[in-house]
Amino acid sequence: MLMQFLASGFMLGSVYGLVALGFAAIYKATRVFNFAQGMLMATGAYLAVTGSVVLGLPLVGTIAFVVVAAGTLGVVIQWLLIRPLAGRPLLAMVMITIALSIILRALIVIIFGGGAQTLRLGLPEGSFVLGSVRISAIHATAAGVSWLCMALFMVFFRFSKAGLLMRATADSHEAAVLSGVNVNRINATAWALGTILAAIGGVFLGQLQVASVELENIGLLALPAVVIGGLQSIPGAIIGGLLVGLIEQLSSGYISPKARDIFVYVPLLIILLVRPWGLFGERELGRV
Amino acid sequence: MSGVASAEAVLEVQGVFAAYAAKATALSDVSLTIPAGGMVALLGSNGAGKTTLIKAISGLLPLHHGTLVSGSVRIAGTNITGLRADRIVRLGLGQVPEGRLVFKHLTVEENLQVGAAVVPRAVGRERIAAVYDLFPRLAERRRQQAGLMSGGEQQMLALGRALASAPRILLIDELSLGLAPIIVKAIYAQLRAVRAAFGTAMLVVEQNAKLALEICDTAYVLERGVIVMSGSAAEVAASDRIRESYLGSSGGAL
Amino acid sequence: MTTLRSSVLRLLCWAIGIGFVLYVPFVLNTRTVFGYRVGNMVLLNLGLAQVDLMLISIIGAVSLNFLTGCAGLISVGHAAFFAVGAMAAAAAGQQLGLPFAATLIAATIAGAIAGVIAGLPSLRVRGLYFVLSTLALHFIVVFCFAEYQYAFHDVAGVTMGDATIMGFELDNNVKWYFFLLPFVVLVCVMLQSTLGLREGRAVLAMRDNELAAAASGIDVRMLRLKVFAFSSAIASLAGALQAYYFTSVSAEIYTLDTAIQFIAMIIVGGMGSIRGGIAGAVVWLLLPSVLVGTTVELKVLPGGVAQFLVGHQPQMVNLTFGVLVAVLLITAPGGLAGLARSFAARGSRQGSGV
Repeated sequence: MLMQFLASGFMLGSVYGLVALGFAAIYKATRVFNFAQGMLMATGAYLAVTGSVVLGLPLVGTIAFVVVAAGTLGVVIQWLLIRPLAGRPLLAMVMITIALSIILRALIVIIFGGGAQTLRLGLPEGSFVLGSVRISAIHATAAGVSWLCMALFMVFFRFSKAGLLMRATADSHEAAVLSGVNVNRINATAWALGTILAAIGGVFLGQLQVASVELENIGLLALPAVVIGGLQSIPGAIIGGLLVGLIEQLSSGYISPKARDIFVYVPLLIILLVRPWGLFGERELGRV
Repeated sequence: MSGVASAEAVLEVQGVFAAYAAKATALSDVSLTIPAGGMVALLGSNGAGKTTLIKAISGLLPLHHGTLVSGSVRIAGTNITGLRADRIVRLGLGQVPEGRLVFKHLTVEENLQVGAAVVPRAVGRERIAAVYDLFPRLAERRRQQAGLMSGGEQQMLALGRALASAPRILLIDELSLGLAPIIVKAIYAQLRAVRAAFGTAMLVVEQNAKLALEICDTAYVLERGVIVMSGSAAEVAASDRIRESYLGSSGGAL
Repeated sequence: MTTLRSSVLRLLCWAIGIGFVLYVPFVLNTRTVFGYRVGNMVLLNLGLAQVDLMLISIIGAVSLNFLTGCAGLISVGHAAFFAVGAMAAAAAGQQLGLPFAATLIAATIAGAIAGVIAGLPSLRVRGLYFVLSTLALHFIVVFCFAEYQYAFHDVAGVTMGDATIMGFELDNNVKWYFFLLPFVVLVCVMLQSTLGLREGRAVLAMRDNELAAAASGIDVRMLRLKVFAFSSAIASLAGALQAYYFTSVSAEIYTLDTAIQFIAMIIVGGMGSIRGGIAGAVVWLLLPSVLVGTTVELKVLPGGVAQFLVGHQPQMVNLTFGVLVAVLLITAPGGLAGLARSFAARGSRQGSGV
């Protein structure tokens, strides 16, 4: 049983890691703590519904549609909501992302109705047995694609020119401006990428469950994931996501499904009190 | 020194008035001209308006709640007044800001690459190689994290990063601040090498008047937001006013 | 002469205001004004139940505004304190058999204790990290509430006893209105006068510059805990009142969305003032009715659109409120109260200029 829980925890955690990575990308580049990440994830699921059901696109077309639409959404969010608030206090930044999630939720319910939508993209179904563990094909695909996306992001972040400029901006906003970096464009890129990563996570979670606005609560788990891993650490976000996935599967397997929150948020509280910069992050300001 | 933009001038500041939200006028009617390949010192005591002038040129005033009330700034004839700071950099203004602003978590090589990101790839590569020639210390440490280097090395890196963008003119703000005199001397010596190699013009803002006057051709003295004196470095160094207030008898006000 | 006139004017305004507040429940209950029947549209489609809930929301919003707006501590844990209040009142009433009034006191005390515990992380972390600790708090409290509910009550919800005070049972909306109104006034007056005290000014000083406040001898850590206890005690009281009003509450109603709504209220109303909290809660109440009711009843829109609006009323409200929050954040950080203040300032400047 343990192996089964660990395996499913790992696969679910991979998707969480993806969403958390998107969150960390936005936070690192723009210093915005995005409470709407969960809703962006749910939006991804609905974009997939739009692509496959409404537009009748094939799998590849749907994925392309989700990526392009999510990227555009990220840029629009940055231009419309985030940019005007540059230099404003924390509460304004937190609230604007909360307002964003209120708006997205309302729009989704208005367009698609409050009920859940089934999302069938034609991904491989069925399951296979690996040792003592039964793995569903969809879970395996979700984990595989998540790791692929995370690897792509890491390569982009480490080795591309835009990735370099993004790291530079995250390091020092002022030095980046003085080096001729168009910080607004970098921020827009970060938002586009963060939204795309969240949306891809949403596509898979919509597939594993159903597409509904309640996916937001699962997406919100990216917050403790990122903080447990360390707000400043990109690998930390992925590991944090994995941890949350494992905790969720183990606690719901051995105790009860309702126990998930307590086993995620109590460690969060402890981390905040003992090691606020996270398991893998660097020490920084923000403590008394 | 009239209002006509001379084709030769690489940087031309004309009648600039600047103010901060809270305070009164910080600069009034400041004009200065830097010819191609020229090295110009900007002298003045604390609070004279040197930093404000630098920010007015580099487009950073709005970021510090200041405004350029009137006047104009041109780089090689192009009016850059009111442009965004990063655009100004792309038009050829290299910046070596006060306090050695380097990207602490990036390696030396990556720092230089960020600087070179505004020019075509080939030019950037050439420039980075040239920077390594000028500062072998940086070449030795190219894989090292910038934040872990000494102050002097970070200052070289900041200078190198600005040079990597192949600027027409470098703005060098308080380079000597907090560094040992021997390192400052070495870096200043390299500034001349930079000019010889690339023909880059420079505006050197410096508290240590003696040092600046030694390497620059001309100098401007700023006091309470007004240019009170300008001329060749030798003339300025010889003036009573400067000898008394900046150079002192021992020669060197740090 | 002018001062006399203005003071008379002010007195008149107060009188009208008080009269209005006292007369409103009867209007909404009987749908008549001085015996004349009035249409739904004139009453903005309001029911007295909504107004009663708004009064409870006002208590919640002003207490959050004290915490966030005045003390600068951002909290998404306000729904959790409502839950604490409901839990404490239910435990005191159902398990211990205490009377209604005593359960309200118990809820207030429990809220203060929970507030001190919840404020403990503020000794270690601040800013974003503190917001996250309140987020963790929210989920932990809701989990506890659910456990309590399943252990001692029904899956459907925690049943509250009768709200009876000295043999007088609160069994309709009018009675509730007149029971809640004094609470609202009391809480607002109390918070307002606290801000005038030395300690209250210290709270503002701490928000504006913590180091300077600490340097001038304020024990900022202790003060933060006190503020937190005070604010959550009031929120818990509101939570207990809300639970009694609903007669039965379950863990599902204490969502993060509820907590976020309170933050939205103080942003819309205006941060850092009692008035802002009230204004935010009032807008939250009026918005749905004004938005949908009037557009439909005035028939300004084609039938299809109007029908669409009615069909999606809750979402339209959320959408509008979300957009309102975003627009106010970007254009008017002071919220509605801030806008009103700047209008008043402009008015008086023009008035004196003429």
